[in-house]
Amino acid sequence: MMKEIETRIKEVVKDLFTQNKIDLFIGYSKGSLPLTSSPCFITKSEDIEKLVWNSFCSNNLAVYLPRIFNPQPRKKEKIELPRIGILAKGCDARSIVVLIKEHQIARDNVFILGIVCQGMGDRKKIRNDIEITGAEEKNGRITIVDENKKEIELKREELLSDCCIECQHATPPIHDILIESGNQRPAAPKGGGRDFEKKSIEDRWNLFQEEISKCIRCYACRQACPNCYCRECFADQTKPRWIGVTDHISDVMFYQIGRIFHQAGRCVDCGACVRACPMGIDLRVFTHKLVRDAKELFDYEAGVFLEEGLLLATFKPEDKQEFISEP
Amino acid sequence: MMDKNFEPRIVAFLCNWCSYAGADLAGVSRIQYPTNVRIIRLPCSGRINPLYIVKALQNGVDGVLVSGCHPGDCHYISGNLVAGRKFALLKNFLVHLGIEPERVQFSWVSASEGPRFAQIVKKVVNEVKEIGPIEKMVKRL
Amino acid sequence: MHKRVLVVGGGIAGIQASLDLAEMGVEVFLLEKGPSIGGRMAQLDKTFPTNDCAMCILSPKLVEAAAHPNIKIIANAELKSLDGEIPNFRAKILKKPRYIDEEKCTGCAICMSKCPVKIPDEYNKGLSKTKCMRIPFPQAVPALPIMDRESCIYHQRGKCRICEKFCEADAIDFDQKEESIDVEVGSVIFASGSEEFDAAIKDEYGYKTFPNVLTSIEFERILSASGPTEGHITRPSDGKEPRRIAFIQCVGSRDMQMGNEYCSSVCCMQAVKDSVIVKEHLPGVEATIFFMDIRAFGKDFDKFVNRAKDDYHTRFIRARISAVEIDPATENLIIQYNSEAGSLIEENFDLVVLSVGLLSTAGIRKMAARFDIEINACGFARTSSFTPMTASRPGIFIAGTFSGPKDIPETVMQASGAASAAASLLTELPIRELREELPQEFDLRGEQIRTGVFVCRCGINIAATVDVPGVVEYASALQGVVHSQEFIFACAQDSQKLIGEKIKELKLNRVIVSACTPRTHELLFQKTLSSSGLNPYLFEFVNIREQCSWVHQKEQEKATEKAKDLVRMAATKAGLLEPLSRMSLKVNKGALIIGGGVAGMVASLELSTQGYEVFLVEKESELGGNLRHVHYTLEGEKTDRFLKSLIAKVKKDDNIQLYIDSEIREIMGYVGNFHTKIGNGKQTTNNKPRELEHGVVIVATGGEEYQPSEYLYGRDERIITQRELEERLTKQQSAIDKLGSIVMIQCVGSRNGQYPYCSRVCCSQAIKNALKLKEINPEVNVYMLYRDIRTYGLKELYYKKAREKGVIFIRYEEGEEPQIEAQNSKSEQQASNGEVLVKAYDPILQRNLVINADLVVLSSAIRARKENKILSQMLKVPLNADGFFLEAHVKLRPVDFATDGIFVCGLAHYPKDVSETICQAKAASARAVTILRKDEIEAEGRVSQIRKERCSGCGLCIEICPYTAIELEEGERVAIVNEALCKGCGACAASCRSAAIDLKGFKDEQILAALSVV
Repeated sequence: MMKEIETRIKEVVKDLFTQNKIDLFIGYSKGSLPLTSSPCFITKSEDIEKLVWNSFCSNNLAVYLPRIFNPQPRKKEKIELPRIGILAKGCDARSIVVLIKEHQIARDNVFILGIVCQGMGDRKKIRNDIEITGAEEKNGRITIVDENKKEIELKREELLSDCCIECQHATPPIHDILIESGNQRPAAPKGGGRDFEKKSIEDRWNLFQEEISKCIRCYACRQACPNCYCRECFADQTKPRWIGVTDHISDVMFYQIGRIFHQAGRCVDCGACVRACPMGIDLRVFTHKLVRDAKELFDYEAGVFLEEGLLLATFKPEDKQEFISEP
Repeated sequence: MMDKNFEPRIVAFLCNWCSYAGADLAGVSRIQYPTNVRIIRLPCSGRINPLYIVKALQNGVDGVLVSGCHPGDCHYISGNLVAGRKFALLKNFLVHLGIEPERVQFSWVSASEGPRFAQIVKKVVNEVKEIGPIEKMVKRL
Repeated sequence: MHKRVLVVGGGIAGIQASLDLAEMGVEVFLLEKGPSIGGRMAQLDKTFPTNDCAMCILSPKLVEAAAHPNIKIIANAELKSLDGEIPNFRAKILKKPRYIDEEKCTGCAICMSKCPVKIPDEYNKGLSKTKCMRIPFPQAVPALPIMDRESCIYHQRGKCRICEKFCEADAIDFDQKEESIDVEVGSVIFASGSEEFDAAIKDEYGYKTFPNVLTSIEFERILSASGPTEGHITRPSDGKEPRRIAFIQCVGSRDMQMGNEYCSSVCCMQAVKDSVIVKEHLPGVEATIFFMDIRAFGKDFDKFVNRAKDDYHTRFIRARISAVEIDPATENLIIQYNSEAGSLIEENFDLVVLSVGLLSTAGIRKMAARFDIEINACGFARTSSFTPMTASRPGIFIAGTFSGPKDIPETVMQASGAASAAASLLTELPIRELREELPQEFDLRGEQIRTGVFVCRCGINIAATVDVPGVVEYASALQGVVHSQEFIFACAQDSQKLIGEKIKELKLNRVIVSACTPRTHELLFQKTLSSSGLNPYLFEFVNIREQCSWVHQKEQEKATEKAKDLVRMAATKAGLLEPLSRMSLKVNKGALIIGGGVAGMVASLELSTQGYEVFLVEKESELGGNLRHVHYTLEGEKTDRFLKSLIAKVKKDDNIQLYIDSEIREIMGYVGNFHTKIGNGKQTTNNKPRELEHGVVIVATGGEEYQPSEYLYGRDERIITQRELEERLTKQQSAIDKLGSIVMIQCVGSRNGQYPYCSRVCCSQAIKNALKLKEINPEVNVYMLYRDIRTYGLKELYYKKAREKGVIFIRYEEGEEPQIEAQNSKSEQQASNGEVLVKAYDPILQRNLVINADLVVLSSAIRARKENKILSQMLKVPLNADGFFLEAHVKLRPVDFATDGIFVCGLAHYPKDVSETICQAKAASARAVTILRKDEIEAEGRVSQIRKERCSGCGLCIEICPYTAIELEEGERVAIVNEALCKGCGACAASCRSAAIDLKGFKDEQILAALSVV
């Protein structure tokens, strides 16, 4: 199945270049390690063969679009916007919707090659005492080769990322061409952070503190997030200075709370921040709370409907008032 | 354990047109309430950046009260309604992280609700007294 | 003499008229017989149908009236005589003594707290006590005390003078006498209001006899958080929370015995609103409304009634209550009524609220007579449908309930309309020049922060609790503070002078006043800064009275600590304050009026009379709109003649550029500077410019008649609409003569699931036509099938007349709509005997009726125009769920949009009759003139500001801004703020993730600075 999809992708991209519909295609190429793939930029037909499709095409490719359409520093003269083709899984496409709504993408200049996603694997789910020297994917099974050339067969489902297990939007809500991929995987019940939520307030705080204390403020999460396209992040601002330039845990918390809260109504739960974190912080325990509340309190899901107003720019008479303290 | 002598420091962000006026009315009516609250007047509850609230906690304030016009009463038409969504999300989020719900409280108080303002202040002060001085989030050097 | 108007009556009508006139450059004398302006609205808890807090929306208007340089409020005064004529009226005003020197009094209210005499509090309808020396209510304007001479111990027994002893301003004057004031004005507006019916007269209801029977206004006070019970709903006899409350409607209204045959218009909705609020206060309570017809005829009223029924479980019982009895053991009240099925039911209630009507009294009639104002049979000022604010005496205009009961928005519209009419008479007179020369502002560049802190003792109001010298000393050590001192009264004139001197002498560049509340006093101190050469925004106000000394009276030490903290926070913020300037913006003097019906034409003529150029755009090929199909009014006035003369006037008016057969293609710009493109119509009769520049827009696009799909309409000639009937009544009376039986069906297309609103005018229109039918042929049988007859206000008289003339009214319930059967097909049909069968269920007779009708007349709804959608998007103004334009505020801004410079009138806003349309059209022009009058409009000082380099152009701020003040700049794709439209709420700033937008005066940096030293 994977191979067929890959072939189909290549055909579409080829057509796009042949018909001179795009200047650039963003997809995935083989990664440097087994069970990885890397974002890849194709500018000419000859390179199309580099494109791959497998269970590890995790990166949210939408992250590149604001950078292309809204380059920094801002140019005075009007720039000719490139025409971009992009491979989009459910989450990439939802990010694209968010970015279109926030005027960061010129819709007319983007050709969205949507793909119904079967969920992507997370390399970290493989026992970490195994040194993976090779891997192969076939018929929903992944065979890895360890340092002793021993083959270990794994079920694809066992490797799925947490965010993919719970994903409700495998089909891209926006696309110009859609590649089907067999039956849709039934979404697992939402669980992200649920266990965490059941803990006592003190335990939650301790865990939050524990997680945050790992943070080195490298901003990799910010770099990986398609929504973090601010020209100057609040964390870097000096007038006013929102956060002290220290490694005091309170400052680190302030950064994380601020960045995550800024995703309210925008986070598509693609897992990019979690994958990007070099310290292995499970940010999703926190980011997912806002995703869930947006849905539960305001029946709002980011990046699903292009026509819908922004979560934080709209309101309804039936908005819940439970946050209000009554005397 | 509750420290009897603990006097919490509470910051209240009030909108100018309803809640600040409600606080004024409490004064005109001589309704007595605890001295712990320091009021910051803003034009509208819509002016309150959620980060102010986090900042207040970081600064070591024991509790934050945010109050605006009741839904429908906003002098700026919809400022409180737009703010309401942010407040609801922020409150849940902070509690999720382990901040006590008593520390950050929201209310709607109209210009004619002097007694309600006083009651809200009393409630927040009592509840924060109960949970004690802020430990989490504070930046102590 | 310059333009001057006297406004009699300081309720919401008088206040609105005064504010509009003042903004038109007219000097206003606002006369109020009570000690404070505010009127009845100040006593209301909430307002329907949005349940807005009445005081929250009224109080800013009170403050605005008090602060406006063109308005002089003369309270506690009466108009004695009015001589002369346009434009030279001479008014003699008698100002009664307050027993305080208004110049000296600071309103600190220490006299009130010390006065030993308690008297019933009129503001709370006597349900609580106040002092003999008192400020009438906390938000009163003027905020001055008044002494009740009759209960003053000194005045009665020659001993006491306690108030004098405590007054540090030396303002008590026991010997004050009446003062006579003469003013000369060009015209006069009477907004003197009406009175509430005295429920004690109807002794069968037991008011004043049974403790738990209250009037609706008393109940309004009980609901109010600032009322006698602080909003706890308790019954007077035992202070217990009631479980069952009954509202009895039409007490003193629609009551022939009492001689008040008209409907008071507002009580139905007031009772519905109260039933909802009661339920919110006491979830277990059961509210029952006993009514005759529910008159929910206003915008979104029926939806509110439905909510009361469905969500709040208010019981609506259609019954006229004859008496209220008491159970002496429990003091509960017993009400007996006839159910619709005819059985007698008895119910027990804990509390009964009498919905008392609004009426004219002997006193009001006498006053009208004294000033030569003719009144009608009901005792209200007589006006015509075509000049609904013009009194019989030239130069005098009417606003508010003096011309009949009405709700707040109608009152406000009439007030604005009266302001326009009054100003139109004075076009020859110059406006009052108010230009004040301010000194050049200091240049602060490179200056160190030099803050002055002034702490007010407010007599003993602050000083008795807060250690003022301690605060002064503490302030002196704060960073940047170079001077600190105290005043007995910071607001006193000599203190102001001293602050000015200190600014100059010490080169202060930041000023902090620590005193009462900025809501009333900020402007005063800002003015002192301006007149001393300091930018008024370099000012911080610290509230240590209302929010400190008064609320911590027993905790002196802690209160002092708090005051110090607050001063420290202010000083820290002050260091970061910047001088702000108010942007000013040129105003184009033209007006675009969209729609050439009555509303558009009246507005055009009004603006033209005041000297402004008007572009009147009509999409059809002739003027007149819906009024072309109305030929007479309920009151019998001929509309054809009025319309003809209106059209003629518009056509020959040189100031009005008429665009017939034309449509709006595009409207760009903002208040003062709109650019509009007009599309070529079918005929290009002229070569007028198609691109217009103008300063304001008035939307008067009208509405349209619903074309029914029900009741065989369009399939049988004998089924017609009221509009078609009216045509026949005017043009083919002979066809009508022969008819023996006519059935009218109300609410066709109104008040249903899809269109839940009431079309407001159909009941009156049907009655009007029924009366006409009876006039032509008294023998004709007219049946009217209705759900509620909504002849609000004085229209009720015609309902009565119709019943007297033999029109038969049969009610039907929603879901039990009448059925129609045409006996023979259209082709065979002879215009002879009744052969349309109308079947209906009569809930009183409890059986099905079949009526043979010669003609069935459908009272079909008024619909919003579909094109409203396109126009609303062009103008970026909202529509309500039913497609009508949605005004900025349903009560107090009924013709404005949130976006400045755009106004609405006529059916585009909501169904209404011709008189109301004219009112609203004039109101819209009054509001438009407040802008057009100025050469430049000044923006707010505290407005939003973009930091371009941080902006990603995400558009969140644009979507949030309720005033459309932010736009995306196409080139660089960054947000830009139009300062002229920004009202300074700061919602944009608080939402921007990149802090790319900030609110001047309340900048992030400034707020965080204050927060860092809490």
